[in-house]
Amino acid sequence: MPCIEASRTQEYFDGELDASTAVEVERHLETCADCASLLVDLEATRRLIREQAAYHRADAALRRRVADSLGREDGGGPRPRRWASANWRFLSGAVSGSAATALAAALVVFAALPAPSNLLVGDVMNAHLRSMMSDHLVDVVSSDRHTVKPWFAGHTDVSPPAVDFADQGYKLVGGRADYVDGHRAAVVVYRHGAHVINVFAWTHDDETLPVSASRNGYRFVFWRHGNLNFGAVSDTGPDELLTLVGLVQNASGPA
Amino acid sequence: MSDRRRRFEAQALPHLDAAYNLARRLTRPPLDADDIVQDAMLRAFRAFETFRGDNMKPWLLSIVRNCHLTAVGQTRYKLEAPLPSDAELNLDDHGLIVDDPDPEVSVIQTQQGRQLGALINRLPQEFREVIVLREMEDMSYRDIAQVTGAPIGTVMSRLARARALLRQTWLGSGQEAPYAVH
Repeated sequence: MPCIEASRTQEYFDGELDASTAVEVERHLETCADCASLLVDLEATRRLIREQAAYHRADAALRRRVADSLGREDGGGPRPRRWASANWRFLSGAVSGSAATALAAALVVFAALPAPSNLLVGDVMNAHLRSMMSDHLVDVVSSDRHTVKPWFAGHTDVSPPAVDFADQGYKLVGGRADYVDGHRAAVVVYRHGAHVINVFAWTHDDETLPVSASRNGYRFVFWRHGNLNFGAVSDTGPDELLTLVGLVQNASGPA
Repeated sequence: MSDRRRRFEAQALPHLDAAYNLARRLTRPPLDADDIVQDAMLRAFRAFETFRGDNMKPWLLSIVRNCHLTAVGQTRYKLEAPLPSDAELNLDDHGLIVDDPDPEVSVIQTQQGRQLGALINRLPQEFREVIVLREMEDMSYRDIAQVTGAPIGTVMSRLARARALLRQTWLGSGQEAPYAVH
């Protein structure tokens, strides 16, 4: 016959009790061996499931299927292949060069961006705004790269560098899992003075990136490193954003 | 892209993995988790106007669950066929449904992990789904009740039984205790 408090012990374990009831259960656990042992079992079972059972993630093919079916329903036909038409590749090295020149070139280029690139910029901007408004800026709070980078490995598909540049004025705040263009993205979050800078990283699938952009007071810089796309966004000045981009690129090592 | 679709995708796509994981844990051959998820996302998009509040996840997962039930019903109605063989069911030597290793999963799939996955898959659906929603998705009782359409008290008792059942079958499967035995 299990203890009549077994049910409340489970609620306690699941974080479902208010503070005063939780204290009552904690007192009970000190004297009831059955419930104390149940709590140990509950913890062990949870750890076992979380460490051992596969978490099945939607793959790229399913994401595309869903996007296409929503697109058909939306009346627009299948979603257009993004950024495939324009040839921006010749500019891809520009960002790491002279900051001022690169930005000047990029702003001119942006005026002529095809619509699909605008969609990507809109996507990144929306993700940035969501993170600022919803109190969901970071999932893992840390200025320690040894905390943030492994967290990405468990929660996103990519694991970009997460280095603290506090000495250069860019403090690492933490990391977040987010979405860009239907891809799971890892976001490294920095603070620069009063500004928040989100650095998105996601797996590229051969689409072409815009280089940089400016919209509604936000600035965007995109680049590619290895098999990852990066996008940095903030309301800082252009030079401040490009400085951080340079630091992140240097930390990424050779492609 | 319409504004409605943009809003829907911004709210729903972050839960696509959760939708797929639930679908994978619910479906049995010949049903396909990808089909269930695609169907669910489309239905959710069509019903987006009826969604109220800011908690998209339980709403979306309840649609996934309903799509699965509908698909099961259609299959039963249409097939009236002999039960699939063990091989078709993907059973291993012990009669357990083999949990396919998923290349998307970053953790290294151990033999142990496969067996635990198989034990979860062998639980009756009403137990399996509360385990997935509570232990994998970290959802509250209230949200699990919304997904499963069961009262909170039922969610709690199913969860307690599911956990006990899983623990017993794990220990009974010859695995070492996952914790120090006191």
